[in-house]
Amino acid sequence: MILEYLPILAVFGFAIVFALATVFSSEIFGPKRPNAEKLSTYESGMKPVGTTSERVSIKYYLIAMLFIIFDLEVVFIYPWAVQFKKLFNQQGISVFVSMVIFLVVLELGYLYVYKKGGFKWD
Amino acid sequence: MTLETILFILFAGIAATTSVLMITRSNIVIAALFLILNFGALAGLYLLLNAQFLAVTQVIVYAGAIMVLFLFVIMLLKPEHERSIYKIPGMKIFAFAIAFLVFVQLAYLILFSSSSEKVSPDVQASINAGTIETIGRELFTNYILPFEAAGFLLLAATIGALILAKKKIE
Amino acid sequence: MNFQSLINSLQYIKPEIVIAVVIVLVVTTDLIMGKNKSLLPWISIAGLIVASFFVIEQFSFKAVSSNANGSIGMITADPFGAFFKIIVIVSSIIIVFFSLSSNEIKEAFERHGEYYTLIFGMILGMFFMISSADLILIYLSIELLSLSSYILAGFTKHSLRNSEASLKYIIYGGASSGIMLFGISIIYGLTGTTNLYLLNSFFHLPQFGGFIFWLACILIFAGIGFKISAAPFHFWTPDVYEGAPITITAYLSIASKAAGFALLIRFIKVTFIDSVDASGYWQLLNLIDWKSFLILISILTMTLGNFAALWQSNMKRLLAYSSIAHAGYLLLGLAVLSDQGLIAILIYFAIYAFMNLGAFFVVMIIANKIGSEEIDDYKGLGYSMPFLSFSIAVFLISLTGIPPTAGFIAKLYLFIALVDAKMIAVAVIALLNTVVSLYYYIKVLKNMYLVRPEKEMPAVLVSPAAFAMLIVLLVPIFLFGIYFTPLVNLAKSSIGLMGF
Repeated sequence: MILEYLPILAVFGFAIVFALATVFSSEIFGPKRPNAEKLSTYESGMKPVGTTSERVSIKYYLIAMLFIIFDLEVVFIYPWAVQFKKLFNQQGISVFVSMVIFLVVLELGYLYVYKKGGFKWD
Repeated sequence: MTLETILFILFAGIAATTSVLMITRSNIVIAALFLILNFGALAGLYLLLNAQFLAVTQVIVYAGAIMVLFLFVIMLLKPEHERSIYKIPGMKIFAFAIAFLVFVQLAYLILFSSSSEKVSPDVQASINAGTIETIGRELFTNYILPFEAAGFLLLAATIGALILAKKKIE
Repeated sequence: MNFQSLINSLQYIKPEIVIAVVIVLVVTTDLIMGKNKSLLPWISIAGLIVASFFVIEQFSFKAVSSNANGSIGMITADPFGAFFKIIVIVSSIIIVFFSLSSNEIKEAFERHGEYYTLIFGMILGMFFMISSADLILIYLSIELLSLSSYILAGFTKHSLRNSEASLKYIIYGGASSGIMLFGISIIYGLTGTTNLYLLNSFFHLPQFGGFIFWLACILIFAGIGFKISAAPFHFWTPDVYEGAPITITAYLSIASKAAGFALLIRFIKVTFIDSVDASGYWQLLNLIDWKSFLILISILTMTLGNFAALWQSNMKRLLAYSSIAHAGYLLLGLAVLSDQGLIAILIYFAIYAFMNLGAFFVVMIIANKIGSEEIDDYKGLGYSMPFLSFSIAVFLISLTGIPPTAGFIAKLYLFIALVDAKMIAVAVIALLNTVVSLYYYIKVLKNMYLVRPEKEMPAVLVSPAAFAMLIVLLVPIFLFGIYFTPLVNLAKSSIGLMGF
């Protein structure tokens, strides 16, 4: 049973090995001749200003929040899609209708956010 | 030792280690990254328990969406200014007491509640319970009402997020 | 698989369907009409009236929905639920009218669409709380109610107090619903079901009991206790009631509490009942000593509420503590564990809805005029606003429980139930609590009538709409105080829970 997931485990293993290899190979094989200029913070050629831990705007929070809500919607659609054929044969159109109701309610929320300027950056 | 046992020890070990690391880091961003690892290990544990759907949800929703929100909130709050909360006296003792209580209670549940105390479980049914097929069938037949209610809950959440986070609504 | 039984069950959720449709309608209208929001309250009221027709239909039901395989489903339709739904509908209609004359809500004009949508979100959550017989739906409906009320508590966003109320509510509410979910998960782990009726049949088996089981039930009680603001889960109440817009405060103190009580009664009666004897006393299963537990909680709640109210200088905080105290009295009605106690609760709730809504309404009108909710600023109001002062006097006297107001009848039935169940000591404690409550209610009246104002205030007239509203709220207080037979009969016919 659990062996079915072996390919996924292999992908994970490959990803970890690849990530570690790329990071550490440059560390091991690359030449190192440091000086003060090289060790300073690289900011695309500009002089660095302030620290990296700046406060971000609350607008990002709104986007992340809305992302979660519509992410959850996908989570619900997934088992529905898997079982749709079987349930459609048993119950007919109602299984489709129940998902449509759910989606209409959620898309109403989407429409609401769109109309009220939730996606605008001002 | 079966493969399941080895994997369980592996995932449980990762989950326990990362959760300890998470609460002991002073840099809150690093703590959040350990939380992601913890979620991943939990997803592995769910897989071992045959709860595939839960495992996928754990990765998509928790390790994905919710962690993004966590990191945004951390960046929003400017955590350097929040250090002072660590200095509340007695907070560690309180936290330990709560954790200990929960631990004792869970240990009691696992060790001392004899199997006779539970309704005899249908083993095959509980193995199948976590598959996407079962969840899909249950969700769209018997649990259709909570499902639709969840739709309205999400609608209320959408509207609420906009009201609370947006300065001016058009 | 017999899918037809699922479709048949749709008839039990007609009121909920109406409310859901109204939510969709309100959002759509808000989006289409743009700046013109004047239609929204009327859509709301029309929707509530339509829903009330279907709720009245439920008085004749006594049924539970069924699953696809014919087993017991998660929605019940019974007179008990219908009674509480009527309370929710009536208080919702009154709250919509409140909102029309509230300055706070008028100022947030551009967000009226959201306001009504979230109120209907609360109503949908409360309806499901009242009629659901499954822990999953119960949890979900509590979340729907809570989420909507968190946002409404911080709705106006003008003051720091308002945001603080919302934030405190979210944090306490999140913690308590997490605790409740933990309890539910333990119960599910022990039994493998979340349906209250199935749980009841499992609990008849001899192997249940013990510490873990007790703990799980207390954890679930904590979640419900938070909603009805029973001590020791009450600490959010004063801050949230003070900070929230006053219409929402009034709504939380009635509707949300009614739904919480309906849920608590259904949870205890359906899940733990063994049998009901001839004189209407419920014999509960010997798993948890609910009686002692409820008596303990209720005495704690009413004493804490009443004594804390003594020191309040803000009218909203005072009413918040008074609502905690009233939750204590109501819990006492449940602690009797009899049909008589249940009748007392229903009568109490019907009357409490009118008097508490009335008190909040007058506080709101006065705040509109003088811009303050402090009791000290009420000095001499008896002379500058005679009608308003008279109304609030009536509501406060009724809240104390002095005849000839309806509040007396409510308390009377409660005490009769207590004495009949031979809970004399508890009845005496409740009586002493009532005496304490008299002090802080009268303090307000004293300020209004006996203390001269520091500066002369011009006489203020009440607008016709507010006047009509006050009459609507005052009439039941006097009517039920004298001619209470119809209410008692309605309550007596509404104690039928599905299954009993």
